[in-house]
Amino acid sequence: MSGIDAVKKIVETEAQARRIVDEASTKAQQIISETREQAERIRQEATARAQQQREEMLSGAKSKAEAEALQSDKETEQILNTYRKLSEERKAGAVSKAVELILNA
Amino acid sequence: MSESLEKLQNRILSDAKHKADETIKDSQAKSQQILEEAKQRAQREFEEIIAKANVEAESIRRSILSSKVRVNRLRILEEKNRIVEDIIHSVEDQLSSFSKSERFEETAQRFVTEAVKAVDTDQPVVRIGFRNVSKKNLDGVSKVLPKGGKLVVDEKPIDNLGGVVATDPEGKVVFNNTFKSRLERLDNQLLTLISSTVFGE
Repeated sequence: MSGIDAVKKIVETEAQARRIVDEASTKAQQIISETREQAERIRQEATARAQQQREEMLSGAKSKAEAEALQSDKETEQILNTYRKLSEERKAGAVSKAVELILNA
Repeated sequence: MSESLEKLQNRILSDAKHKADETIKDSQAKSQQILEEAKQRAQREFEEIIAKANVEAESIRRSILSSKVRVNRLRILEEKNRIVEDIIHSVEDQLSSFSKSERFEETAQRFVTEAVKAVDTDQPVVRIGFRNVSKKNLDGVSKVLPKGGKLVVDEKPIDNLGGVVATDPEGKVVFNNTFKSRLERLDNQLLTLISSTVFGE
């Protein structure tokens, strides 16, 4: 084999070596790129899950509060009924005492 | 020479493959790190959203409840106010027809005495006016006036409910002793009395 052929062989081999390294570099970039996309999907899925859970929490809190508000309405109705009953029972006495106060104070 | 050339070629290719393997390994390691960081960040963001949602949910709950409690307190206050107003109307009704009472003359005399004392003059002018009361019903009242005093009898009840108004001769000093003005003067005591009697407060 002549010296020129040997040099040609070396040049071809180095070209092949560069291709191997370049291909690996391209593949590495692709791996990183795909990983970044996967990372973004993970983040988006977590955010979506959190938002879904948030909606459920807010809706639950609203329903619970409305139920407690209904209880407050019932208690208020009881108080109002008690006051109306007391008013019927004690009105005459209150009027009498008030008249005495105005007359005698 | 051919053999050493082949060795050199093999060496070049072997180095390249080694470098390629290292590049891929590095990228895989970096990829693993990116994924770990992404998972941690996603978890942090998830927890932040949930923590904020907890605060938001509590705020919604408090807002709904406090609004309801406010409305219900107002309903209770309005009802109590309605009851008290109703009682005061009844009191006014009784006072406006008080002239029918056996205690009328004694009370009218006392109102006149209080009013005369308040204006503090020898010549008080006393206006008196109750429902269904004329001059002839007021003999007893004239007796409590000082000698220089003057009694003016109104046909209609003064301030609607009736009562007495005394002034000095110039009309500069006035003491209003009508039922209405007594109701106004005793407003606080009256509300306390009615509330304690009806609601036990």
